[in-house]
Amino acid sequence: MPDRFVYVTYIRTTPEKLWDALLKPEFTKQYWFGSWQESDWKKSASWKLYGPEGLNCSGEVVEIEKQRRLVTKWLNESKPELKAEGYSLCTFEIEQAGAALRLTVTHECAAPKSKVLERVGMGWPMVLSNLKSLLETGAAFDIPLSQTPCHQEEEKARANAQGNAQEAAHV
Amino acid sequence: MSDRFFYVTYNRTTPEKAWDALMKPEFNKLYWFGAFMQSDWKKGAPWKIVLNDGRIADTGEIVEIEKPKKIVIKWRNEFMPEIKAEGWSQCTIELEPSGDMVKLTVLHEIDKTGSKLIQAVSGGWPKILSGLKTLLETGKPLPDMAVSKK
Repeated sequence: MPDRFVYVTYIRTTPEKLWDALLKPEFTKQYWFGSWQESDWKKSASWKLYGPEGLNCSGEVVEIEKQRRLVTKWLNESKPELKAEGYSLCTFEIEQAGAALRLTVTHECAAPKSKVLERVGMGWPMVLSNLKSLLETGAAFDIPLSQTPCHQEEEKARANAQGNAQEAAHV
Repeated sequence: MSDRFFYVTYNRTTPEKAWDALMKPEFNKLYWFGAFMQSDWKKGAPWKIVLNDGRIADTGEIVEIEKPKKIVIKWRNEFMPEIKAEGWSQCTIELEPSGDMVKLTVLHEIDKTGSKLIQAVSGGWPKILSGLKTLLETGKPLPDMAVSKK
């Protein structure tokens, strides 16, 4: 069984608007820390995720059913230790839930104790909260990359490593 | 080993407003399927969830409370025998400012595996917390959210 991260959110919007918000760069840039995807959005088409710092992930569209379901295969391109885990699989599923929509994001990775899943597990709640705010209020939060959970974790790790190195130097 | 449900949302609000929306019945009813929590909100005080038809859904006790940051509730289901038999679970709700947002974290855990209670709250919390976010950010509740299977 691969490890998986699952997140469900309910949004007051239409399938058309949610689909556009998930796929179109002018929307994703607003709520996804400035990121955008590039693809022809057809089965087996190549897929790329870019962020303000450049190419983040590359992969392929595995399955696509407009306004219902999108499955993409992700390979991290920005950090060697994440790339070494191989592909992860990300599924967006949209269902009507009364007068709202239920969006389920499932991100799976076969690597044991996956660092990719640890990172997306921190990132998706913020991205999807922001997507919901954009669709329901017309405005997303302006979240600088430095304020994202992954960057804050990295900063902490860097500070700890520096502290340890300084301690070691004093011994 | 224990089962757990963990969920995070970011909300455009203040910790004080989120705290009120969590503790006050008149707000609860707008996003908690008409249900509300009842307690004196002091450490050791009894706590319960009352459904909109008056039935008691869950009972328990306030284990820890620190306004407007953290609340820990000892929580047992009361109206589904199979889930009630699982005994006590613990629910921790935390509020933390994060830039212009408030990070809300819910951790609901029980000291057993294959828990039906955790399965049930895993379905409920995302609806409740999505509704809470909508209420805090738009001033209006989310509409009914029953999923229609096609």
